[in-house]
Amino acid sequence: MARARSRIAGVTSVIGELLITTGLVLALFVVYSLWWTNVLADRDAEEQGERVRDRWAGGPGALDTKDGIGFLHVPAMGSGEILVTRGTDAATLNHGVAGYYLDPIRSALPSDKQGNFTLAAHRDGHGAKFHNIHKIKTGDSIVFETVDTWYVYKVFNDLKETSKYNVDVLQPVPKESGRTKPGRYITLTTCTPVYTSDYRYIVWGELERTEKVDRDRTPPAELRQS
Amino acid sequence: MYGWIWRHLPGNAWVRALIALVLALAVVYGLFQYVFPWAEPLLPFNDVTVDGQ
Repeated sequence: MARARSRIAGVTSVIGELLITTGLVLALFVVYSLWWTNVLADRDAEEQGERVRDRWAGGPGALDTKDGIGFLHVPAMGSGEILVTRGTDAATLNHGVAGYYLDPIRSALPSDKQGNFTLAAHRDGHGAKFHNIHKIKTGDSIVFETVDTWYVYKVFNDLKETSKYNVDVLQPVPKESGRTKPGRYITLTTCTPVYTSDYRYIVWGELERTEKVDRDRTPPAELRQS
Repeated sequence: MYGWIWRHLPGNAWVRALIALVLALAVVYGLFQYVFPWAEPLLPFNDVTVDGQ
């Protein structure tokens, strides 16, 4: 009798310990997702960004997509510059960058005469570069910096929640944004609500003007206020 | 379970505590380095692109 009771006690305590262990592992996973991946991704992005800047120091040259094509500045998000590289697969975005779409609809480049420059980045973890996308309002500026040009876009619309299957937001003329004519657009996409990826959050902008990069890389007025 | 591990560690209480700490750190390292990076793409928390799939 006593032996049977002590066996039950033993089994119960092992189950209890396993439950506590599971809880600790899940807590560690949260720490990993929301903190450690940011540490790794920010380090990667900084190194990669420095390589791009080093190459640019050699003076204007042909477009080189190896490390990145330029930097995105969104004062409303207040997260500094975001390196933009080719492609939107997880392995790319996990380096703490924003990627331009190759697939399912190929992004235009800012230098193209018309088209939609479409970008994706993480909302949480892995650098969380678009974490504050909800702070972008209509009329805010999005500036894209390349080796020789500042592209200044103005935000004109957004979609606070849409299906992840809604690939039409990436069309050269994204109808849902309200625009019907070809132009030079920019589209930011990320997941929403924060910490999950049930839906997608979309921000649309339109090119307002471009500025040549001068020798000191003087930023355009939009970036000097902050 | 943890009691069993504790009883099977060698040395006095201090040595055991030290070994237990090292083991715990090794487990955390294994989780961060191998298990979590493997598990993360399988979980639906961090898909940011729109696509047809």
